[in-house]
Amino acid sequence: MKLGKLTRKLEDFLDADARERKEHRDEMKVLLRKMKDKEKSLLAKALVEFDEKKLDALRKQIDMVHAQRKKGINALKELTKKRKQ
Amino acid sequence: MLKRLQLPVVLLLLAGGFWLSPDFKTISAGVAIFLFGMLSLEQGFNAFTGGLLERVLKRATSSHLRSLGFGLVSTAIMQSSSLVSVIAISFLSAGLISLAAGIGIVFGANLGTTTGAWLIAGFGLKVDIARYALPMLVFGIVLLFQPGSKLKGAGSILCGLGFLFLGIHYMKEGFEAFKSTIDLARYSVSGYPGVFLFMLTGIFATVVMQSSHATLVLIITALAAQQITYENALALAIGANIGTTITAMLSALNATAGGKRLAGAHLIFNVVTALISVALIFQLVELVDWSAAKLGIASTDYTLKLAIFHTIFNLGGVLIMLPFITPLVVLLERVIPERVPEVDQPRYLSSASAEFPDTAIEAVKNETQRIFDEALDIIASGMGLLKDASSSKVWLATDFKGKPLLGEGSIDAMYEKHIKSIYSAILVFISDTEFSRKEGHAATLQWLREANVQIVEAIKDTKHLQKNLQRFMVSGNPDIRHGYNTIRQHVAAIIQGILDIRLQEDGVMDMLALDALKLTIDEHRTSMADEVTWLIASRKISAQMGSSLLNDSAYAHDVSMNLVTAAQTLFGAAEPELLSAARAVTLDDSDRGEILDETT
Repeated sequence: MKLGKLTRKLEDFLDADARERKEHRDEMKVLLRKMKDKEKSLLAKALVEFDEKKLDALRKQIDMVHAQRKKGINALKELTKKRKQ
Repeated sequence: MLKRLQLPVVLLLLAGGFWLSPDFKTISAGVAIFLFGMLSLEQGFNAFTGGLLERVLKRATSSHLRSLGFGLVSTAIMQSSSLVSVIAISFLSAGLISLAAGIGIVFGANLGTTTGAWLIAGFGLKVDIARYALPMLVFGIVLLFQPGSKLKGAGSILCGLGFLFLGIHYMKEGFEAFKSTIDLARYSVSGYPGVFLFMLTGIFATVVMQSSHATLVLIITALAAQQITYENALALAIGANIGTTITAMLSALNATAGGKRLAGAHLIFNVVTALISVALIFQLVELVDWSAAKLGIASTDYTLKLAIFHTIFNLGGVLIMLPFITPLVVLLERVIPERVPEVDQPRYLSSASAEFPDTAIEAVKNETQRIFDEALDIIASGMGLLKDASSSKVWLATDFKGKPLLGEGSIDAMYEKHIKSIYSAILVFISDTEFSRKEGHAATLQWLREANVQIVEAIKDTKHLQKNLQRFMVSGNPDIRHGYNTIRQHVAAIIQGILDIRLQEDGVMDMLALDALKLTIDEHRTSMADEVTWLIASRKISAQMGSSLLNDSAYAHDVSMNLVTAAQTLFGAAEPELLSAARAVTLDDSDRGEILDETT
């Protein structure tokens, strides 16, 4: 490992705020992955659903997960921006 | 009076002892430093309990053997069976683990504590451990001054280990110097009288120091300095094992029935093991000699032989008692029954569950879950809904002619019986919890407090709604009846939705899925407003009826929204590691408004 990278890692380890931010980023990434899987599975269900009422409910859920993912992606971008500053 | 005199007498005796013998002073200082080290170690491990212990415990207590393994490993790492027992009582009180799992942990802790004797006899006495203690203290203090709680925790652990080593060093020095002035070995007593006398001494020393580990270090260092005989040291070790239960008993005094049962199991295990060891002590000594020969340990190395003895008698106890865990649970549940009060009382909130942040949060979460379930029943009953606990299905209650049946019990009475005392206890518990001011835990407790407030609000709104519901559900006007039935159907659908999502048991994903119910609630509010306007405009209902229906649909909206928001907190708390991320993505009013605008 190069000296620069090593010192940055050490600094990250010793800086409690930086470590906390990294934890938040990692948590958000895990959650976004879960939400992406959920959205995919809902889309797959919607493709084979012919009942109009159930299809409506599925559409609502897809819209909701999509909006939640959008919020999550924006939050992750913010966290990454803070890290670079 | 006697209690008030206790401390001054102890201090005077100690001061007198220090004045008479500088060696006694060194040994006492060693014990004090050792105990301080244990406190520091405990403080350090507490810094790492934020979610970690909870996660480990859930996986590690699924079977008797796993619980045993957890007790063994955690005690070997933390070097304190008392601490692990207190943790087990605390986790049991908070409802995190079952009694059988707690008993398994306590059995394992007894086995894990034997590693201490091996460490001290095999390493502590053979190596100059004071040389390791000093750098540990320096590094520990440097870390203690760092801002992060994890670094502080690591610092406390290093300092704790350093003090433990330093304490052992002073005890060793003290006993060696003591030998030149007084030979304590002259007071040895052989045979069974000696066994009983020294066993009682071991119990007394451990009760005073509240640490069998400290007693064991004293025994080993005294044995190494030949201040006590090998035979008496064995009896002292047995006594220390009984004395160690005192910490668990003290901790269980204010614990729930579960905590008391676990402390009882701890006492039974240690006393039974001690009685068997006393009865078979001479056979055990032969077994130790044989094992020492097999392990290549010199027959004169009494400290290591003591470690073997300590391991054998604890292992024997575990092997004998392990098949009896289930009968022990049955016995303890019969001897220490759960009191059934007239008004529902908290089951998980106790000073034992307030010991650690994880257990405190779990206790509040479990109590909140209890009042949430009770609230669903009260609301369902108040709105004339039937709720089947086994199939988790909700439907409108009607009589054989199709007329609605509203619950007969008063909402106030049900609130007083099932909710009020638990709710008050939760609020007091949260405000009394010292670490509630720490970031992270504070946020979770804050959310749980909010959830409780929302649950109580939902009940109050149902009470307001019930008045008109009872009046208009028997009205001759079919349109107003239909309007109120729509409200009932809506609340039933929301409760059903919550129960369905809960069945998925998918942590924060359940929490996020509940946002869909919030969208339904928003939609219902808009559609109800439109319907009421149309009903009034077409003269189907009077303006007075319309205003009542509008007010009550607002109450229904609040009931539903409060229930869903409280459920989000509860479901999310099941996966604390992703909770803050999930909170950041849940949809607020304006997000939901945008989605509804797009779909319409």
